[in-house]
Amino acid sequence: MLFAFYGFVGKRNAEAPEKIVVSASRITNLGDGFARTWRRPPSEQELQGLIEDYIRDEVFYREGRAAGLDRDDVIIRRRVRQKMEFLAEDLPEPSDEQLKAYLVSNPERFRSDDQITFRQVFLSATRRPNTIESDSKRVASVLSSGDAAIDTAALGDPFLLGDEFHNVSATKVTNQFGESFAKGVFAMDKGRWQGPVSSGFGQHFVFISERVSGGLPPLDDVRPAVRREWANTRRLEAEQKLYASLRERYEIVVEAPPSKAASAENGR
Amino acid sequence: MMIRLSISAAALAGVCAASLFATTVAAEDLTTDIGTLDKETADKVFPSKPPYSPYAGRNFPTRPYFGDTHTHTSYSMDAGAFGARLGPKDAYRFAKGEEVIASSGQRAKLSRPLDFMVVADHSDGMGFFPQLIGGDAGLLATPQGRRWYDEINSGKGAQAAIDIVTSFGKGQMPKGFPTPGTPAYRSAWRETIKAAEEANEPGRFTAFIGYEWTSNAGGNNLHRNIIWRDNGAKANLIEPFTTLPPLGSPNPRDLWKWMAMVEEKTGAEILALAHNGNLSNGRMFPIIESFNGKRIDREYAENRTRWEPLYEATQIKGDGETHPFLSPNDEFANYERWDKGNLDLTEVKKPEMLEFEYVRSALKNGLKMEAELGVNPYKFGLVGSTDAHTGLTAVEEDNFFGKTSSSEPSADRAMHPFVKTDKAVIMGWETTASGYAAVWATENTREAIFDAMKRRETYATTGPRMAVRFFGGWDFETADANNRMPARVGYAKGVPMGGDLNNAPNGKSPSFLIAALKDPIGANLDRIQVIKGWVGKDGQTQERIYDVAVSGGRKIDADGRSRTSVGSTVDVASATWTNTIGSGEMITVWKDPDFDPALRAFYYVRVIEIPTPRWTAYDAKYFGVKMPAEVRMTTTERAYTSPIWYTP
Repeated sequence: MLFAFYGFVGKRNAEAPEKIVVSASRITNLGDGFARTWRRPPSEQELQGLIEDYIRDEVFYREGRAAGLDRDDVIIRRRVRQKMEFLAEDLPEPSDEQLKAYLVSNPERFRSDDQITFRQVFLSATRRPNTIESDSKRVASVLSSGDAAIDTAALGDPFLLGDEFHNVSATKVTNQFGESFAKGVFAMDKGRWQGPVSSGFGQHFVFISERVSGGLPPLDDVRPAVRREWANTRRLEAEQKLYASLRERYEIVVEAPPSKAASAENGR
Repeated sequence: MMIRLSISAAALAGVCAASLFATTVAAEDLTTDIGTLDKETADKVFPSKPPYSPYAGRNFPTRPYFGDTHTHTSYSMDAGAFGARLGPKDAYRFAKGEEVIASSGQRAKLSRPLDFMVVADHSDGMGFFPQLIGGDAGLLATPQGRRWYDEINSGKGAQAAIDIVTSFGKGQMPKGFPTPGTPAYRSAWRETIKAAEEANEPGRFTAFIGYEWTSNAGGNNLHRNIIWRDNGAKANLIEPFTTLPPLGSPNPRDLWKWMAMVEEKTGAEILALAHNGNLSNGRMFPIIESFNGKRIDREYAENRTRWEPLYEATQIKGDGETHPFLSPNDEFANYERWDKGNLDLTEVKKPEMLEFEYVRSALKNGLKMEAELGVNPYKFGLVGSTDAHTGLTAVEEDNFFGKTSSSEPSADRAMHPFVKTDKAVIMGWETTASGYAAVWATENTREAIFDAMKRRETYATTGPRMAVRFFGGWDFETADANNRMPARVGYAKGVPMGGDLNNAPNGKSPSFLIAALKDPIGANLDRIQVIKGWVGKDGQTQERIYDVAVSGGRKIDADGRSRTSVGSTVDVASATWTNTIGSGEMITVWKDPDFDPALRAFYYVRVIEIPTPRWTAYDAKYFGVKMPAEVRMTTTERAYTSPIWYTP
């Protein structure tokens, strides 16, 4: 198909005599196709038949095209479009260099998340509807005294998902407490009680005991993901590029039906 | 645009004068004693001194994972016909929180990523659509194929889609329709597996391999989704089971045989979950089997309960918990009802069908059948999922991308008929922005989530991501509601949702530790209810509702009900609400006041949110359209847990 396609676009305006070349690689392809179906290579005679068949296809295809049979047929238009898009998708396996370059130029996609470990003193808006503000001030002053012997857990209310959160990313914290809480907590220093931070559940005092900064992992750690994203980006690029380069060959005139154009203008 | 008011604690204090729920007041009265009570509890639960680290030895789930077990892409024949152009890869990208361009050309993104997803395309005709639109010569040689092709290309895709679904329901598909064993079919299945393998990131996002077996004999919905625990190497050894004979069958018994064969031959582990009993016209949870007219036997019961641990209780084509006809005393029963007929509206609904279509009545009949057969065929847990045919698992009220690509956001989507026959019409506005599956798994991997599904430690939500805990045992006491680690007490003294209670200790009633936390970016909670079903001494099934925690200081009456409404803050015109009513969290211990140890029973929890704008209100606001009076503009979202069963 590739051959036919280049023949097609390459000779669009040429007056040169038609020539059908059945290249050596084309013959290999025909043989491979046969072998995939029949689980054995074709015999000499069968191969000859395949070549004849190919030439027959090609002749009919060109003649049909010359006769304009392809022009108004939606089937052919769709199939050619699908085929072209498929060509764009058919990407070679990327090299390590390509993947590394992709990784470095798209760090935000592969960066491992910052993670924190924290514990909290939770004041429930539900349990303390009238006293949460004053309770919050009291807890703040107790915590700021820095007395290591305080049983901090007893200062607050139980929280359904617990009081300690180990190695959690901002995404996880957002999913459990909401975005503004996550932002607030991730902006905090470690090693001392801070807060309160509000959430939809109430107020939270937070002690961050550990913080692991995320970073750009080496390629080996994230190869499948980089490969996937690289392929996706290239697929979209290639499709776009192919289409753009083909489209350049045409001057596009879209004739709007007059009634619709008029109603579009009146539409606003 | 919508405005969500998150309120300060002070505002909340001002509005909610009394303590927000009665049971917590009771628990709080014991605040001074908590230390003592806690210690006693702990001593009983952990006889030896626990390790310093409270997390050592801990292997119970600590957070729910949210996902969708049911997303269709362009690989599903009907989705493709309706205009879906996004394939499995795009669907997984979207679920992981990436922005994609929807089939209608609009930008789409989730408010936050999901934790897991199953792309479940129809096994019948998988890859049919790419084949049809690609102009496959064999298909176009048939009159039907040619007609559909022309309709799709002339912008009448929806018409073609209905016709495709209807023809399929009647078993009248054209020659050349892809079946297992053909290259087009094989390649579609391989692509499906490949997309899941690429998207799967253990610990971060789980992409399950799966498909939907769309048994639809006579237009009656008996659909099931199939999910693999394993990776592509095992899923690749087999092609999906279809419903069209001779290769496939619409009879669930044949699906179960196929599942047994797959496990035996490939060493894989798989499960199935059904959905949309509401469109089965009395056939989803039968007592008399529709395929042979006989009473369900033990073999059916054993297989159903073995292969189908879960049921999808809520989704875009309506909610399936219960129906007002079946539960006349349930104020919340009339929720997103689809009760006009079967899936393609070729047969209207009759009231006597309802009993065999809904979750609650099936759970009740299951108890009765267990007494008769020795096995309960309907011992299933609950999840919600979308059944979106857009590749977009987007069912939040303010971010609803519809059932099909032709119903992605637009000014007139609400007023387009979704299905229309000479018998009835279902309008676009009746589609439901629901739901998701919540799973209490130990980690975010295929294995852990699958295992949690098998043990039914799951619940359904209609979209919001509230956290819901439900433990049952014999020794829960009021103070457990104030324990610092509710989950640890729950697992130590009881069984989680999906579990079993038996051997009732003399004179004891089952007690339950129940808790819910609102969606951190969502609406407050109105109440928590326990729904109990049982078989009476007379052999008749019964049900009743208990309000066990209510917000806003309302009273729970002696009969276990709180009949005062929470009210509403919804401003439909601006599509807003405020969290000035309801409660952000609720926890309570509840004991069954009417327990009879001789009777089979089940208990499940329903959590109700305060009213919020329905997706139709967001549409009306955004597009500046006026909806007709019959269109519902508010909703009360909810969660349903898997039951805990008591067997004498």
